[in-house]
Amino acid sequence: MLVRLAAERATGALLRDHGTLYLVDGRVVHAESPAAPGVDVLLTTAGRLPREGWDEAVDRAGAHRAVGRFLVDSGRLHDGELEICHLGAVFDAAFFALSPTSGPTRFRYGVGHWFGTVRPVSAEAVERETVRRRELLDAVWPYAAVDTAPVVPRPAAPGQHAGARRRALLAAADGVRTPAELARVLGRPAFHTLLDVRRLAAAGLVETPLDGAPDATPAPTPAFPPVPPVADPDIALLRRLRDALEAHL
Amino acid sequence: MANTETSLKEAASIEGAIGAALVDYTSGMALGTIGGGKELDLNVAAAGNTDVVRAKVRAMEMLGLNDEIEDILITLGSQYHLIRLLKTRGNNGLFLYLALDKNRANLAMARHQLKKIEAELDI
Repeated sequence: MLVRLAAERATGALLRDHGTLYLVDGRVVHAESPAAPGVDVLLTTAGRLPREGWDEAVDRAGAHRAVGRFLVDSGRLHDGELEICHLGAVFDAAFFALSPTSGPTRFRYGVGHWFGTVRPVSAEAVERETVRRRELLDAVWPYAAVDTAPVVPRPAAPGQHAGARRRALLAAADGVRTPAELARVLGRPAFHTLLDVRRLAAAGLVETPLDGAPDATPAPTPAFPPVPPVADPDIALLRRLRDALEAHL
Repeated sequence: MANTETSLKEAASIEGAIGAALVDYTSGMALGTIGGGKELDLNVAAAGNTDVVRAKVRAMEMLGLNDEIEDILITLGSQYHLIRLLKTRGNNGLFLYLALDKNRANLAMARHQLKKIEAELDI
């Protein structure tokens, strides 16, 4: 549907279960999702902008759909800063808005967003990035359970280090907050938080309290039937197999 | 103050430049690209070089080096790849990625220009 709307250079809002994409002339200018912190959270939580500064910009420029522009023109943000923060928020919300869902997809022609246009991106770029992100998450750790469940830190193995960004995440992971809530508390994009949580899960540094360990999430069914115990293993064959594997790896 | 587009254009005007990208290194997404063409897919380069930066950051943490990476240089047979980590006010981790033709580029000059582009971008 997004591809078709882009082709017909549509302007309006694409409403889906997990978020909304705003298009102008077939290009994506804004996106929102309840799962992803908005530009306001990203800017104010990081301390870049006081909450009052944001509220004033919305009050004064919201009606003209030029909040982004106002933030720059009034000297609160630099041009590049606004663009980068807004693009980050758009791709973040789009990732959730475009996630596979059984719910309905609707398009309301002519609807715009009060934030205003900053830098439109092609619908194709948004789709491509969304697919890349989904694949990246699965490549890091293929169990999606850690995306929605609250996680708690596990003790690090000797010599194991987590970087400053992930230490802040671990400190906020209290077993109650879900990754989406952690993203909001830390003022970071939700996808970045999911990625960090999956990396931490892969490193064994977090677990979901509900099921004890991330490993307990339903594992793929084994492709082979269980092998009956062998009384007399062929040691020489096993050695050859090991050597061949080592030569390959 | 420059926006991302003017910064990328400046990067592309550096002598010997093949392509440049502004990359968010947590997600591996290119926020903007210029040049590249058929030989160098900058979106793939952005994601791949994110792993380079992450590996170096991890190595420094393991060594207990309490310092920051300013830039990373990768020298190929025919190209230079320069990665410049940007200092930002918010908590975005960003880097500028610049691929140069080794025969046409002046490495010292390119590093200097990239530093200047960072200062102008002011994020």
